[in-house]
Amino acid sequence: MFDIARFSCYNRGMISEEKLKILTEGAKYDVSCSSSGSRRKNEGGIGNGSAAGCCHSFTPDGRCVSLLKILMSNDCVYHCRYCPNRADADVPRATATPEELCLLTVDFYKRNYIEGLFLSSAVVKNPDYTMERLLITVKKLRTEYAFHGYIHLKGIPRADETLVREAARYVDRMSYNIELPSERSLKLLAPQKSKESLLLPMRRLAKEKELFRAEKRNGLFLPAGQTTQMIVGASPEPDGLILRLSQNLYRKLGLKRVYYSSYVPVVRDSLLPDLPVEQLREHRLYQADWLLRFYGFSAEELLPEGENLPLEYDPKCAWALKNLHCFPVEVNTAPLEMLLRVPGIGAKSAYKITQARRYTPLTLEDLRKMRVVLRRAAYFITCGGKYSGTKSRTGLRGLLSTGIQPAKQLSLFDNPNALLPLSEAEPAYSALTGEL
Amino acid sequence: MIYFIDGTKEGFLTAFLLAFPDPDSAIASSEHQLALGQQCAFVTADEERAKRAERRFLQLDGRCMRELDTLLRSGEKNKEQIAFRYLRLIAQKQRPVRDMLADADVLAASECMARVGHEAERLKGFVRFLESASGALYAPISPDNDICDLLGIHFRARLPGYPFVIHDVSRKKASVWDGEHLFLAPLERAEVLLSADEEAWQSLWREYYRSVNIPSRLRLKQMRGYLPVRYRKFMPEFK
Repeated sequence: MFDIARFSCYNRGMISEEKLKILTEGAKYDVSCSSSGSRRKNEGGIGNGSAAGCCHSFTPDGRCVSLLKILMSNDCVYHCRYCPNRADADVPRATATPEELCLLTVDFYKRNYIEGLFLSSAVVKNPDYTMERLLITVKKLRTEYAFHGYIHLKGIPRADETLVREAARYVDRMSYNIELPSERSLKLLAPQKSKESLLLPMRRLAKEKELFRAEKRNGLFLPAGQTTQMIVGASPEPDGLILRLSQNLYRKLGLKRVYYSSYVPVVRDSLLPDLPVEQLREHRLYQADWLLRFYGFSAEELLPEGENLPLEYDPKCAWALKNLHCFPVEVNTAPLEMLLRVPGIGAKSAYKITQARRYTPLTLEDLRKMRVVLRRAAYFITCGGKYSGTKSRTGLRGLLSTGIQPAKQLSLFDNPNALLPLSEAEPAYSALTGEL
Repeated sequence: MIYFIDGTKEGFLTAFLLAFPDPDSAIASSEHQLALGQQCAFVTADEERAKRAERRFLQLDGRCMRELDTLLRSGEKNKEQIAFRYLRLIAQKQRPVRDMLADADVLAASECMARVGHEAERLKGFVRFLESASGALYAPISPDNDICDLLGIHFRARLPGYPFVIHDVSRKKASVWDGEHLFLAPLERAEVLLSADEEAWQSLWREYYRSVNIPSRLRLKQMRGYLPVRYRKFMPEFK
C-alpha cells in the first residue's frame, strides 16, 4: 500500500510565492495547456492520465488551467530578440530546484488543482546542463514521488540526444517550439536557434516512437506525442505559408497540435513590429488548422501560399464562397464529407444529421431543434429540396460577412499604447510571447 | 394517471410496467404538482418485476439501462417523465432509438443525459480537496445532478493512496474512499481539522492563479461560460 507518511517529510521544501510568480509569468504565454492523449495508469502512488484531458480552472482571460505551467528557470544565455527573458534584459531572475518543482506538482495535484505539470525552461548555462536538470526533475517526479499524472516537457534545442531520449521515457508529451515560420526570420530574431536545431530533435523523437511501437517495448514513450508553437506576426510570413508548414508537420512528423500565438510587443527592437497582432488572425489560423485536422481540407484548397486568410469570413465560409458550384447540398442525402464542408456545420452536427436522417427526412425545423447552427449553413443547404437562403449570389457575401474590415488605417487615437514607451505600457517581463 | 415513485431505479421500472399501457400516464417523484381532477398512485418498488423489465430492456437495447441510470441522476424536475417517454419509445419500437434525434422524446432524453455527463466531466476538474490533519482529503460540492458517486470512482483510480470524502452538501450524502472500500453514506455536515500546511498551499495556488492570467486579454464572459459562478463556491482561487 502507498504510504502517505513518507511524503510528509518533504514538506520543508515548499517553493516561495515570489519565485512561483516569476517562473509562472515567464511561462504563461505558452499557449499549449492541453492534458489529453495519455491513458497512463496509476501503478501505486499518485495520479493517472485522462485521455480526454481535463480543465481544472479558468482565468479571467478565458483560458483554461489544466497543467501547472511553469519555467524551471528564466535565467537565459540566449538573445532571442522577441523574448523578455533574453540574457541582456533587466528582469528578476529565479531558478527552482527539482525538489521544489516535484513537491509543488504533487501537492497541487492531490488537491485536484491541476492535471499535471508543463515544465519548460530558459537555457541556463548551456543546453545540455538545462536538459539534464529538466530530466532530473521529471525522473524524480515519476520515480521518487511515484507521480503518474500528465507531464508535458519542453525540449531544449541543441541538447544532447541521449538526454532527450531518456526524458521522453518519463513524460507524456514533448514539444519543441518552431518559434517563427521561416528560417530567415529565425536567423534574424533568434540567432542561436536554427530550423534544423528545432526540427531534428522532433524528427528523432518521431522515429524513436515508431521504433518503440514496432518493437512493442515495455513502458510508455511519449503517449501524447509531440506539439509545437509558432509566433504569428513578429515576422512577415503570410498565413498560406504558415498553414503549409503546419500541414507538413502533421503529415510528416505526426504532430498532435500546432499552436499559434499572436505576437505581443514586450521588447522594443528595430527588427520587430511595434503594434500587437490582432487576435482575430490567430483565431482564423486555428480555424484553418482545425479544417486541416478534422474536416479533410488541405492547405492548398484553403488559400494560395502567398496570401493571408480573410478576416471577414471564417476559412470554411471563404472556401465555400469560392466554390459555390458545390452548393447547396441536400442534408438528407449528402455524404458526411460534404456535410463537413458546409459552413457552420461542425463535426458533431454532421454526425447527428447522418444518424437522424436514417429514420426520417429532416426539415430545417428539425435541424434547428437538434441545435445545428443555421446562421451560415442555411445558405448552403436544402432540406428535402427546399432552399431557404438567398437567391442573390452577390448578396450572399454581405450576409455572411462578420463586418470586420480587413484593412485599417492607423490612427493616432487607435492605440495609445503604440505611442508610449513600452515600459509604461506594460511591464516587459510580465508579457512574454515566445519562450523556449 | 400519475405514478409517484421513490426515486430508485427499481421503483421506476415497476411504475413503468404499470404506466406503459396507458398513453396519458406519467411518472413523477414526490415534488410533482397535481392538476385538478388528476388521478394518482404511489408505487412501491417490486424487485421481481423490476428485474424482469430490466432484462427485457437489455434485450432490446444493451445501453439503455445505463442511460436510465444517468437520467435518474438528473437534477431536472421532470426527469422521470423524460426517462419514461424515452424508454416507452424503445418498448414500442422494439429496438434502440437513441439516434432518432428528430424525435422530441429522444432529443429531450439525449439532452438531459448530456447535461448530467457534462457536469460530471466538469466537476472532475472543479472539485477541490482540503487536506485534513490526518492526511485524508475532503471536498465539498453542490452539483445540479446527483453525481457524487461517479466522482468517487474517478478519484479512487487517481488517488488510491489517499482516503477521501466527496461531500454533496445539498443532497447531504458523501462518496467515501477509506483506502479499501468506496461507498456512499448519508452525511449531514462535516467538521474538518485542516493540516498545518493546507493554508500555505492554498495561498500558493492563489498566487499561481493570479500570475498565469494575462490581464490585457480580459474575457470574463468566456470564463463564465466555462466555469459558471455556482461552481466557484468551494474553489480556493475565488476566495
